[in-house]
Amino acid sequence: MKLADHYTRTGIYITLSVLTAGAVIYFFAINFIAQQQLDRSLQQQLTEAEDYIHTSDQDPQRYDLDRDHAVFVKIGQQNLQKRFFDTTYYNPRERQIEPGRAVEDLVKVKSGNYKVLITISRESQRYFIGVIITITLTLLAGLLFILFITNKYMLNGLWKPFQLTLKEIKEFNIAEANQFKGERSKVDEFTELNEAIREMSLRVTHDYLSMKEFTENASHEMMTPLAVVTTKLDTLIQDETLSAEQLAQITDIYSSINKSSRLNQSLLLLSKLENKAITDKEPIDLQVVLREKLLQFQELLLSKDLSLSSDIKPSHIFASKYLIDILLNNLVSNAIRHNTMGGKIVIALDGDLLSIKNTGADLALNEQLIFDRFQKGKESQGTGLGLTLVKNICQHYGYGIEYKFDYPWHAFSVRL
Amino acid sequence: MKILVIEDEQGLRENITNYLNVDGNVCESCSALNPALQKLAIYDYDCVLLDIGLPDGEGFGVLEYLSTQKKKEAVLIISARNALDDKVRGLNIGADDYLTKPFHLAELKARMMAIYRRKILNTNNKLVFNEIVVDILGRNVEVNETAVILTRKEYDMLMYFIANKGKVISKNAIAEHLWGDEMDMHDSFDFIYTHIKNLRKKLVDAGARDYLTSIYGLGYKFIG
Repeated sequence: MKLADHYTRTGIYITLSVLTAGAVIYFFAINFIAQQQLDRSLQQQLTEAEDYIHTSDQDPQRYDLDRDHAVFVKIGQQNLQKRFFDTTYYNPRERQIEPGRAVEDLVKVKSGNYKVLITISRESQRYFIGVIITITLTLLAGLLFILFITNKYMLNGLWKPFQLTLKEIKEFNIAEANQFKGERSKVDEFTELNEAIREMSLRVTHDYLSMKEFTENASHEMMTPLAVVTTKLDTLIQDETLSAEQLAQITDIYSSINKSSRLNQSLLLLSKLENKAITDKEPIDLQVVLREKLLQFQELLLSKDLSLSSDIKPSHIFASKYLIDILLNNLVSNAIRHNTMGGKIVIALDGDLLSIKNTGADLALNEQLIFDRFQKGKESQGTGLGLTLVKNICQHYGYGIEYKFDYPWHAFSVRL
Repeated sequence: MKILVIEDEQGLRENITNYLNVDGNVCESCSALNPALQKLAIYDYDCVLLDIGLPDGEGFGVLEYLSTQKKKEAVLIISARNALDDKVRGLNIGADDYLTKPFHLAELKARMMAIYRRKILNTNNKLVFNEIVVDILGRNVEVNETAVILTRKEYDMLMYFIANKGKVISKNAIAEHLWGDEMDMHDSFDFIYTHIKNLRKKLVDAGARDYLTSIYGLGYKFIG
């Protein structure tokens, strides 16, 4: 849930509960005051009626005022507690029963004791309370609505700088030259946040650049001594007095140099891929490239007596030829290298799916690990970076890569 | 053939000049950009071997100089950098080929000969080696005026041997030449033997001398 929603929700909860409690208190207060008002007016009428009865000799039972419902009943009781109470009131004009309020008291005159009961209508009071409640509820609803709208639309605007910052952070790519900008905001906190992020990004970019420079320089610097060793060996082997055994040793040195140079190239390429530093792209007819690749591996296939069946349909992609070459090289050479003598390879290319299946060891490879750096079989002569490169190239272009073992097939599929 | 080697690493420079200083080639060298530019201003060369990372500037400066002066030297870049853009950049501004360190001297010589031949192709598109005649444009080989049909790999191998005639060449260098350095060496050694055997048989059958000697445990030599 968004922060603004949290805000709105809390605001609404608090407003709602305070207003509800307020409304209840308000209702009772109004009710109480209105009742006081009624009782006071009843008391006044009662006093009037008593005064009248005391001053006139008339039979109290004949006392009647048009507007009042005063009833005198002769009773024998000597004492009667004066009391106010809710009752019903018959409205003679409207000819209907309405809620009413009444007072009863004992009046002593010469002719005896009378119980006096005066009733008046509570209708106007009820109407009055109704109006007040309606106004209050309308206000409440209006307030909630305004609160909601304010939070949703106006306060959202307050978060705009934050969202901009967030967007910029998400788009921030360490390998790209564009810096984190973080525009100034009216809100101090956001300005401070942007300031902090900008500083951090500068520091990170700087560290990254020096790291990258170091890696590249180190790799390149390593190539020159390797070149010196190679050319020295090339010169050395011209010496005709060397024994066959010495020459065989030199062959091994050559192989090691070749391996470390390939390792170096692969590491450099990996770091380039991770930094998205390879941007050249061209349209590639994968069908043609794959056919050429298989032709290139012809001898290797023959030497292991492998039978290759391929179903290669047209497929066009837009990528770096160099990277696609490395991708295919690694997948195809793995399928050959990790195969058994006289094994099989099945290669299929159809639209956006390239799958390479080969026979080999009877156990499935650990699909969690095979794409990791330097994960290789004990007997493997490779650099241990082949599949890592494959995975990173796939990631670079958003291709999906998957390994499955379905006895006896080790299958790699690339969704282009 | 006059060659200028521009390379700051002394060991490498010496080995290259020694290897190339045969068959009447004149190989000069310098270790930085500015002396190289001075030499190029005074002399004409057939071929320039150019390192990109030089102590006083990038080797691209040589390419720019050559193109502004409209000089015709064939340029082979030898660089530790495999950066794709470096390659493209070098080739775009006038380099003829690009070789990444580490490399075999035999490979360097073969590449150098190839770009040199491409430069002089207008005047001479036939490579004559005793009784063997190679038509470079058509990639055809004749021995004593009899056509010899070679596979692509056999042809590449023959050109490689002729460029490095008289030198011992390791199997590793041949494998890298034929299959590129992406390939694991040990896989390719057996195939080399097959290709060499076929090439040798085809040449000898056509009446050529047997130039190829096997150097036990290491490689081959094409006797000059």
